[in-house]
Amino acid sequence: MGFDVLIDAVMTVFSSGSAIYVLLGVLLGLCFGVIPGLGGTTALALLIPVTFSMDSLDAMYLAGGVMGATSFGGSITAILLNTPGTAPNAATTFDGYPLAQQGKAGMAIGASATASALGGLIGLFTLLLVIPVARELVLAFGPAEFFLLTLLGLVAIAVSARGKLLRGLIAGGFGLMLAFVGSDTVSGEIRFSLDTDYLWDGIPLVPTLTGMFALSQMIELGLKGGSVAGVAKEAKQRISGIGEGIKSVFVHWTVLLRGSAIGTVIGAIPGLGGTVASFIAYTSTVQSSKNPESFGKGNIVGVIAPESANNAKDGGSLVPTVAFGIPGSAETALFLGILVLHGIDPGPSILLNNEREVYGLIVALTLSAVGASVIGLIFARWLVLITYVNVHVLVPVVVAVSLTGVYVLDGKPGDVVLAMIMGVLGYLMIRFDYPRLTLVIALVLGETAERSFHQTRMISDNEMLAFMAGRPQSVILILLIVLTLLLPSLRRVKWRRGGEA
Amino acid sequence: MPNPLTHGLAVAAAALLATTGAALADWPEKPITFVVPYSPGGGFDSYVRAVAPEMEKILGAEVVVENIPGAGGQKGAATVYRADPDGYTIGIWNVPGLTVPQLLGKSSGYDLTDVTWIGNLATSKYALAVQADSEFDSLEALCSQGEPFKHSDTGPASTSSVTARISMSLIDCPIMNVTGYKGSTDTIVGLMRGEVDATIKPIASLLKYQKSGDVKILMTFENERTLADVPTSTELGYTDFANFDLRRIVGGPPGIPADIQAKLSEALIGAANSAAVQEWSASSNRPLDPVGADEASAIMSNLMEFYTQYKDVLE
Repeated sequence: MGFDVLIDAVMTVFSSGSAIYVLLGVLLGLCFGVIPGLGGTTALALLIPVTFSMDSLDAMYLAGGVMGATSFGGSITAILLNTPGTAPNAATTFDGYPLAQQGKAGMAIGASATASALGGLIGLFTLLLVIPVARELVLAFGPAEFFLLTLLGLVAIAVSARGKLLRGLIAGGFGLMLAFVGSDTVSGEIRFSLDTDYLWDGIPLVPTLTGMFALSQMIELGLKGGSVAGVAKEAKQRISGIGEGIKSVFVHWTVLLRGSAIGTVIGAIPGLGGTVASFIAYTSTVQSSKNPESFGKGNIVGVIAPESANNAKDGGSLVPTVAFGIPGSAETALFLGILVLHGIDPGPSILLNNEREVYGLIVALTLSAVGASVIGLIFARWLVLITYVNVHVLVPVVVAVSLTGVYVLDGKPGDVVLAMIMGVLGYLMIRFDYPRLTLVIALVLGETAERSFHQTRMISDNEMLAFMAGRPQSVILILLIVLTLLLPSLRRVKWRRGGEA
Repeated sequence: MPNPLTHGLAVAAAALLATTGAALADWPEKPITFVVPYSPGGGFDSYVRAVAPEMEKILGAEVVVENIPGAGGQKGAATVYRADPDGYTIGIWNVPGLTVPQLLGKSSGYDLTDVTWIGNLATSKYALAVQADSEFDSLEALCSQGEPFKHSDTGPASTSSVTARISMSLIDCPIMNVTGYKGSTDTIVGLMRGEVDATIKPIASLLKYQKSGDVKILMTFENERTLADVPTSTELGYTDFANFDLRRIVGGPPGIPADIQAKLSEALIGAANSAAVQEWSASSNRPLDPVGADEASAIMSNLMEFYTQYKDVLE
């Protein structure tokens, strides 16, 4: 029955000329994605007043267009400038930027576009498949599983910091400390607020990320001089690598599938989202690779994994929404806000009462996933030229635009100050070789980890282990954590044996 | 010879009177900012965005909705409180969400006792719900199970948490507040997953999940029945429970002239009663309870007294 409505929704979007809203959304999403500091959440928050006067279905098309396009837009900046355009693109910088430095930016963008589009489609297809059991799925995962998933993420930090385990742990530990700033979810007490009400709600993610990645990178570039692709002299002729990039995704189809699966699952968990999804997709790909040493130096697989994950997360984040009308991400929360403005009450019967809007959004997301990549590929040829711009022109522009973006989200001057502090800290971390993403991931995970830990403790009457042991879904996650911790040691043993033989 | 200081003051006063007089006659002359102390897309935001266009029509001036989130609504509240009392800045207030921090001395930048109240926009009454197939069929059964009953909530300062803790302390019912759920719908899903025994939430939110067969409402916190087949707390003998509610109330900085206050109040009530807003309210399940300035001010001072009694419970 769902498929009739789906086909109906597809027909409507083309016959009514509403496709223009999707296209508008895609263009807007690409722009907001490309600019560091601005992202999907900002775009949708700014759009809310605009959608008020629109038909509810057209509003869905616009929102879907934006949601599906931002993360691919962000990957372009990640690859070209080592600065994630949106939070989930942070992991893409690891291998995307080295590729750009080698003059292979076209190849990286081609791979990112293809992985984004296919990842998005896989996420949405999975969503359609699980709609009949969405209720059961959402009810099966409680605070105990959320806590274990955050643990899995933290373990991935330790494992990902190859060669610099200590530095990785220091950065992660510092990120966790930052996560505990603000009001305590259990007692409501304000902690470490330095007597300023700015810190009551904790350290916000967007300014932190913008500082850590965009500003620090601009300081680094500014001090170095030259241009991003300055080393690769005859690189201009090699922009044609786009086709090679597209092909690489099909060659590494297992990476694509794993990234998409991770994205879909993590996307469905409120509070985690695309940043964690793409990070876990990246680390798990490095782990299962035959030559993990090739990562961080321009391995194309390192672009495919995070980009497929951060687009697949959109489909996943709609699972709790179709089940009970609850948001799975900041973007879906705004999407539900748009529905309320249009006189629709999201709730457990959202699929029965508002089929039209929900399927409209799914169709828009589908078109957007593909459309954004096609548009992106068309412009990639010119976008790559950014890497040849002299940094003394590039740096002031990026700094000004990204700080404006940070300010626009909530209109708080404190956010701009925080971004600048994080920019300096991030630069110091680059200089002294500490992993920055580790800090950010710990900041994201820390909040959910603390909250779900206390919830599990309370609902299990302080018998957490016994409680988890009685839940098969928890046991599976515990096994995954143990496996993730042991895998590197196991492999080393195997490698040694192989060496001796 | 007139004292230069008093003379100067008199001139200034006269000038002030003249300008306010002129301002009153053609007020409003410029756009009015309507502050929502939360991010776009939430409950308070949608109420304000629904009434703002209708207020525009009545006042003949633009009404600009501005979201100033932060510190659990206190940043927006403080912004409104500190604005010039010329009626061009008003805001929506969460009560008791903002009342309780003030009572506990944990608030900053506002004082609810001298806000210029413009009118009440909506009032949500609470209800107590358990899982659809729960073994508990009454509040008594929940309270006498030998251990504190578990209750799901977003945070300890949330309005429903305040309601749950005070009301249960009134009847000496032990309760364990499991906080940390992301939003009020999530607290209901937590109940459905069986993580808690019961939850106290606004009637309208719970009703959706009763209709879908996921929860069972045992009691509403009110004097007269909203739901035909669910007893009220008053009927069951819990006398004070009907005092608890969540108010979305509109107010401006202290000292807005009475005429401007009246104009704003008239526009707010007119907007809430307009066909467009009424239709929105019915289809989106967001109930309205428009009440004018005088009555809203009286309600606010009563509520302050009511919650002051239970300061100890909250600390």
